[in-house]
Amino acid sequence: MNQLPPTLLLLTLLGYATGVVASLFCLRAEKAANVLACGLAALAAFSGVVASVIGLLTGAATAHESVQILPELIPYLRFSIRLDPLGLFFTLLVSLVGLAIAVYSLGYNRQFFGRKNLGVFGAFFNSVLLATTLVFLADNAFFFLIAWEIMALSAYFLVSFEHEKEESRNAGVLFFVMSHIGTGCLILGFLLLFQTSGGYGFEGFHAIGATMAAGPRNAAFLLFLVGFGVKAGIVPLHIWLPVAHPAAPSNVSALMSGILIKTGIYGLTRVCFDFMGPPPNWWGVTILTIGTISAVLGVLYALMEHDLKRLLAYHSIENIGIILMGLGAALMFLHTGHPVLASLALIAGLYHTINHAVFKALLFLGAGAVVHATHTRNMEEMGGLVKRMPRTAFCFLVGAVAISALPPLNGFVSEWLTYQSLLQGFGTTPSLIRLMFPLGGAMLALTGALAAACFVKAYGITFLAQPRSEHAACAHEAGGPEVAGQFLLTAVCVFLGLFPTQFLRLLDPVTSQLAGSALSAQLGLANGFVLAGATATGGTVSTLGLALMAVCLLPVPLALWWVFARGTTVRRGPTWDCGLQGLTPRMEYTATGFSKPIRMIFKALFRPRREVQREYDFSPYFATNLRFESHVEEVFLTRIYRPLNWLVWRVSRRMRALQAGSLQAYLIYIFVTLLLLLIFAL
Amino acid sequence: MHPAPTSEIPAQLIALFAALMLVAQLLLAVQRMLLTSIRLFAIQSLFLAGIAAVVAYSHNAFHVYVVVALTLIGKVAFLPWLLDRQVRRMKIIQEIEPLVNFPTSMLICGGLTLLGYLVARPFTSLERLGNNTLAVAITLVLTGFFLMINRRKAITQVLALLTVENGVMLAAVALTTYGMPLVVELGIFFDVLVAVMILGILVYRIRETFASMDTSKLSQLKG
Repeated sequence: MNQLPPTLLLLTLLGYATGVVASLFCLRAEKAANVLACGLAALAAFSGVVASVIGLLTGAATAHESVQILPELIPYLRFSIRLDPLGLFFTLLVSLVGLAIAVYSLGYNRQFFGRKNLGVFGAFFNSVLLATTLVFLADNAFFFLIAWEIMALSAYFLVSFEHEKEESRNAGVLFFVMSHIGTGCLILGFLLLFQTSGGYGFEGFHAIGATMAAGPRNAAFLLFLVGFGVKAGIVPLHIWLPVAHPAAPSNVSALMSGILIKTGIYGLTRVCFDFMGPPPNWWGVTILTIGTISAVLGVLYALMEHDLKRLLAYHSIENIGIILMGLGAALMFLHTGHPVLASLALIAGLYHTINHAVFKALLFLGAGAVVHATHTRNMEEMGGLVKRMPRTAFCFLVGAVAISALPPLNGFVSEWLTYQSLLQGFGTTPSLIRLMFPLGGAMLALTGALAAACFVKAYGITFLAQPRSEHAACAHEAGGPEVAGQFLLTAVCVFLGLFPTQFLRLLDPVTSQLAGSALSAQLGLANGFVLAGATATGGTVSTLGLALMAVCLLPVPLALWWVFARGTTVRRGPTWDCGLQGLTPRMEYTATGFSKPIRMIFKALFRPRREVQREYDFSPYFATNLRFESHVEEVFLTRIYRPLNWLVWRVSRRMRALQAGSLQAYLIYIFVTLLLLLIFAL
Repeated sequence: MHPAPTSEIPAQLIALFAALMLVAQLLLAVQRMLLTSIRLFAIQSLFLAGIAAVVAYSHNAFHVYVVVALTLIGKVAFLPWLLDRQVRRMKIIQEIEPLVNFPTSMLICGGLTLLGYLVARPFTSLERLGNNTLAVAITLVLTGFFLMINRRKAITQVLALLTVENGVMLAAVALTTYGMPLVVELGIFFDVLVAVMILGILVYRIRETFASMDTSKLSQLKG
């Protein structure tokens, strides 16, 4: 028995806990607090990475051992953690991304010196990492819920860290409310499971679905879907994401978008595969449908955004959708009895989970550096930053390529795996439901194309051309730790893209635990050089080969130039400006202009509205003043949440009559209830 | 066949004391003078202590004597003294008109007593001591509650709460042969003690702020 992973994991937990306490002790000394909090978090996260990699590789994780970390105080509540493959995989994710964010925060937090209390920030930062790790490792439903709540509350305090801004406060409240609706559903779901198992330990929940009656089982599934879906940000429960992510400091946004929303994915995977499998068909269909809708709508709304961080937040919704497509397909394959395809789809989903965590954290860290340098989140006021912040621009570009699913980076690998599982799914069942697979594939293709368009916009408007504002013109490159944090994640992106077959070995224990087969040997051909689609009909691709090919082709244009154009002369002149007085930033292509074609195509969804006011003196052709306004309607907010909100207000206003404020009235309520109960009992 | 006198006399004593507690409660329901109300409560507590003493004597249960001592010190002496001092300090002698006038409240209390007896009937076989102590206990709780609703002065509401507590104690003594475990009884006792002291301070504050002890004025605090 390998004792290293459990020991290292306990060290990780201890490290985060020490980080919480140490930061609170340094409330007055902000520099010390910053160094202590970020340093301890980084060390703990590093130990977590090592522990989970070793655990997954050596198979120590398959031992399913339960480690009790605190004595048992209350019946049913055991503070125990279990090192099972799924939990370890997500621990790897939180530790890896947490490490990069901790390094980045070391520099990023300097902007708060003298302005905000960094001791408090450090404490919540560490506690959110600690709680998230515990969520992934918890072995008891009560313990899981406690960790879940600590995570949500710490995140709430981090979102509203800059509480002097009204935007942050409102975002925090929205996050808090949505999060608690989710937690309520989770509690009910666990109670349903408890009815059958008679305990709250996760080992008692394992494969409980077979013994549950259909009614409670489906009810539990729906409750868990809503509960975890809120955290993951599925449409239509996503509304808190584009509000909370931008309002938080950027390292917190990266933490939330990279790690926190993955707890929803973890929960769904745990519940659907481990607890309540084998699933009925409609579970998989539901998850696949929700995933498809989230993916398409997420990217469409992202395209309409000019706020860099809101744009990234909408992309989180899109990517959660892609992950859920993989998970939904896996559930459908499990139902029809295709364990290999189920494993493939599960791998696709989980691979995309870690990919999204890495590149989205990377993009948010880059956005944080940009926002800090330009003092605005509006892309229309940026521009030209590639010359002023070259390192950040490079990292952001890598992240953008990765999230657009372009080869040879990691986003491509996981989306390719998703395609493989969807396209091969068509032959698995004769029923009409198989049309879901090609339809999902088509929607995924649409999503990929739109995402690429969106990141052309995001990168082009933000980093290229001339600066569009004073602030953008005098922007400076971010400091050392910030750049280091970004480069770390960039390297991970490249590794996950170029060496997928190496990484897939880590997923072997997870898929054999949840779907029944380990696929890394089948997926890697030619010594891991080529990635294959698991079955005979699947395709093959080699990102490493593509990258090598690109490197080999690089000299070709140089050679062509050397052969044909060696002797020609080069003349440099200004860009043609139509005879005006030189080019100004006002002539540049704007983000709004760039996304107009798509806005027009999807008019039915966006319901764009624009107002133009023109003032002129003598001729309408020579306007002296022009005002232009353009809006896009957020359908879910205006059509679902606002009516709901209004309804709740109305009902509560009626209920307020009960709250008379008089002591006697309250006493009468209690007394009458007591009397009625007594008479009822006679 | 006569039952043994040793078990007959305690049972009758307990029934007598319980009935006297009920009488004190009914008197309290129609009492306007604050000082008299406090004294009535003290007398009621004295009967409670009597019941506990009988139980302790007839069962040779030492820890019930502790309950007797605590009741005597706390409810018969200390709390009445505390409330008495408060009333004298605030120079308020009379309760103002209650929400429901006295004849009607007497009727309501009668109805509640009936309900108490009805509710207690299925449990009478459990009782070892006295016939109707549980019924009296439930009636005390119900009428105490009604008193709390009916009165406006914070002091009388405190008194009503204390009679509810007396009812709970009586039920504890009556239902279980040896009373509840000592720890529970101590807990309840100190709970009530602390609650009354806090209420006393609050009453004083309410008067300072609103120049009155009328709790219905607290509704001004509502937003």
